[in-house]
Amino acid sequence: MEKLSADVLVIGGGATGAGVAWDAALRGLDVVLVERGDLATGTSGRFHGLLHSGGRYAVKDPSAAHECARENGVVRHVAADCVEDTGGLFVATPFDDPAYADRFAEGCRKTGVPCEEIEPARALREEPRLNPGISRAFRVPDGSIEVWKLVWALARGAQDRGARVLPYHEVVAVHRGGDQVHGARVRNTRTGQELDVEAAVTVSASGAWAGQIAAMAGIEGVHVKPGRGIMIAMSHRLVNTVINRCQLPTDGDIIVPIETVCVIGTTDVGTDDPDDHTIIQAEVDAMLEDGERLVPGFKQARALRVWTGVRPLFEDRKENGATDTRDVTRAHALLDHRERDGVTGFFTITGGKLTTYRLMAEETVDAVCLQLGDARPCTTSAEPLAGSENGEYHRVGDRLGRREQRLLDDQLICECELIPRKRIEETIRWRGTTDLDDLRRLLRLGMGPCQGGFCIYRVAGILHGLDGIDTPDANAGLIDYVRERWKGVWPVLYGDQLRQARLDEWIYQGVLDVEHLQ
Amino acid sequence: MTSSLHYDAVVVGVGVAGLTAAIRLAEGGARVCVLAKGVGSTHLAPGTVDVLGYRPERVEHPAAALPEFVGAHPDHPYALIGPDAIAPALDRFAALIERGPQPGYRYTGGLDRNHLLPTAVGAIRPSALVPETMAAGDARSSVPVCVVGMRVLRDFHASLCAGNIRRAGIPARAVEVEIDVGRVEANSLGLARRFDDESFRAAFVGRLALLLRPGERVALPAVLGLRDPHGAWSDLQRRLGRAVFEVPTLPPSAPGMRVYNALVAALRAAGGRLVLGAEVLDVEREGDRVTGVRAHTSGHDTIYHAGWIVLATGGFASGGIELGSDWAASETILGLSLQGMPRPGEARFTADYFGHQPMAGVGVAVDSSLRARETENVYVAGAALPGAVPWREGSGQGIALATGHFAAQAVLEREGAAATA
Repeated sequence: MEKLSADVLVIGGGATGAGVAWDAALRGLDVVLVERGDLATGTSGRFHGLLHSGGRYAVKDPSAAHECARENGVVRHVAADCVEDTGGLFVATPFDDPAYADRFAEGCRKTGVPCEEIEPARALREEPRLNPGISRAFRVPDGSIEVWKLVWALARGAQDRGARVLPYHEVVAVHRGGDQVHGARVRNTRTGQELDVEAAVTVSASGAWAGQIAAMAGIEGVHVKPGRGIMIAMSHRLVNTVINRCQLPTDGDIIVPIETVCVIGTTDVGTDDPDDHTIIQAEVDAMLEDGERLVPGFKQARALRVWTGVRPLFEDRKENGATDTRDVTRAHALLDHRERDGVTGFFTITGGKLTTYRLMAEETVDAVCLQLGDARPCTTSAEPLAGSENGEYHRVGDRLGRREQRLLDDQLICECELIPRKRIEETIRWRGTTDLDDLRRLLRLGMGPCQGGFCIYRVAGILHGLDGIDTPDANAGLIDYVRERWKGVWPVLYGDQLRQARLDEWIYQGVLDVEHLQ
Repeated sequence: MTSSLHYDAVVVGVGVAGLTAAIRLAEGGARVCVLAKGVGSTHLAPGTVDVLGYRPERVEHPAAALPEFVGAHPDHPYALIGPDAIAPALDRFAALIERGPQPGYRYTGGLDRNHLLPTAVGAIRPSALVPETMAAGDARSSVPVCVVGMRVLRDFHASLCAGNIRRAGIPARAVEVEIDVGRVEANSLGLARRFDDESFRAAFVGRLALLLRPGERVALPAVLGLRDPHGAWSDLQRRLGRAVFEVPTLPPSAPGMRVYNALVAALRAAGGRLVLGAEVLDVEREGDRVTGVRAHTSGHDTIYHAGWIVLATGGFASGGIELGSDWAASETILGLSLQGMPRPGEARFTADYFGHQPMAGVGVAVDSSLRARETENVYVAGAALPGAVPWREGSGQGIALATGHFAAQAVLEREGAAATA
């Protein structure tokens, strides 16, 4: 069996795991990262794209608000290319408790969330689709963040510094000898091949799955209660600013403009299984009603797809143990299992939010270094990620701008997301992938209004033509794609999006007849 | 300002169903006007006439399969009009194309046996009546296939097509021809116009001929001409000295546009009128008769008075039927009642893409003469009818032709009865 050895094994390729790998690699540690699926396909890849200003927690959870406020500034600096500086508004709609607005402003002041009250008329000038009945409006530095770009920038940065990043590798056993964890056995989910990774320290950054990984290490009571939430992507940007209801956080009270769409979120329903992606029609209907409160006419707009994500909500259930041994905030939990359970070489980092991924990584790698007896300072708050060196934010028109410059020398393969052919071919090469879904995340392929109606056939054909895949794999890829797409589409099929779906059915079932491929 | 015009019949919708009905009405002596918001499904469809392709297993002989199929699907449009009504509509269609504006262009086949033609991914799809330019692709032939791609056309990928034709048991390979169209991308429409040009074809053949092996037939994306497809196709066959066939791919569809052009020409030749860009706003009624349709055309509204209305506005795909976010569905022109809607609380769609979708069979409720149930003089044709899942059955154009023809016939019979009375 093949063996790898490293200073640090990171389990989990979401924003936290990739952040830990990048942080550790920057400090000169030798890192292996394993992820059971593609990078950012768990909680990170299933959120709404909000870079928090902290305003959302200013009243309910001041320490989380403070952390978000600080990290917001850091992420804008080190990952500028992944961030769109949309700004955010908290608006008091006629459905909200009018007394909350003053508590909100006070909370922002106390927690350091930059917040400026503006005239509702001005907010309506800036966002004309907003409910005209708003009575208060506060401007905050919310933004939107392209998560796959962020996580891949972290992973590629770590790779450039020697880290080995292994997507599609799931942990089948955590190696524990006595009171020491010294790595894990992982299986390549595509080839079935197993691999032993030996590491001085193992970090479980597996979020909602942290309890499962801890149990593999023989550690009980790491209880992460998954909180399932749905999000709906609407065609086009109904708003260009992040819009929050000025009330205590609840369902369907935030709309995030990101790239060519906007996303409304979210619900919070406890579940036992982090892989539970059930979509409940009543939740979808309620979410559309919530959208209507913020943006009248919301229900007439096209809903592109609905998906669910699970928040990792940590509650420590270790009895009589030395819990909360480290300085964990309420927003995230770092468990040093040497202090908690007497097991050396093993840490769990869970909870938290995407906005604070860097801070979580910093605290984790600080603790790792401490245990390795080799204090090395964290530099992730000063070191920009690749592509973000010039500090310029991503703008929604960037792709169109690039496209206009190359109008005459490159084909457009995905019209919705403006993806040219050369970009697709380059991505296939560097990523070494032949998976349509991997390409979707890297390029936002098929994520626009037509949901892959035209581009997925084209890309399957391009992949096949590059000898990237044989015919059965191309067929399976196409069929898997249309099946998977449908899972997020059917609960929001009405209006023009049903029309679009019917056209896609005509193309894939009628014209191409993919169902009867042999 | 609203002006007012009088016709015997107004047809709403300019897909195959609407045009077929309008032509039949005009030829039957009625003064006909077709109103349409935009062009219809012809430009999206592959241009083949699929009558019954799957039930769900593949159908080889539609004529033989239809009686059993309608027995099993009593709400299907074919069951309403009877399977015997299909063949005359197909014959009529073939005759219209042959005398159309594209010299020599014709369809081949019929209900006895489906052609089995490769799609752009190389799946083998059954069609009853197909353009002559596609017929040589039949998968029953074991003649090796050379699938020809052009990089400039992003909507056709020869290697994947050839790969799946091979998997269907036919020797096949792919080649790519570099052609210069003055830019890096072109769609089927742009290329089809190029192929109308003889010097372009000569240059194309010059490049392609070197790549072919003896004994191969040649598969090309369906771009072989728009004005003169028969000329373009036979010229290529002659120059290459072998069978050439077209493979339909993503919209816009050149073979579909040929159908549209031929049918519109037939409508005009029969004295019918077509008004495109006419969005129907509302209708005038007298009791349960619809006596006029008010449409917005460029700059002003016009009321089109008519004794008969044929509704051929299509289903959800074309906007003839809409589903709101409150999950209420409606027929968009007349507010006719629908049939086949899932009951409140029932699933509208299900999670399996290729499984049964309850919303799929929704359409306007009609009687066995295709008359909309709550009206005296509105007939319905094509994808607005309930009970079919045409994109899965492989029945779309068959339904459009047969019900368009049937609805017109029903109107003419009543008109005739009224005249003799």
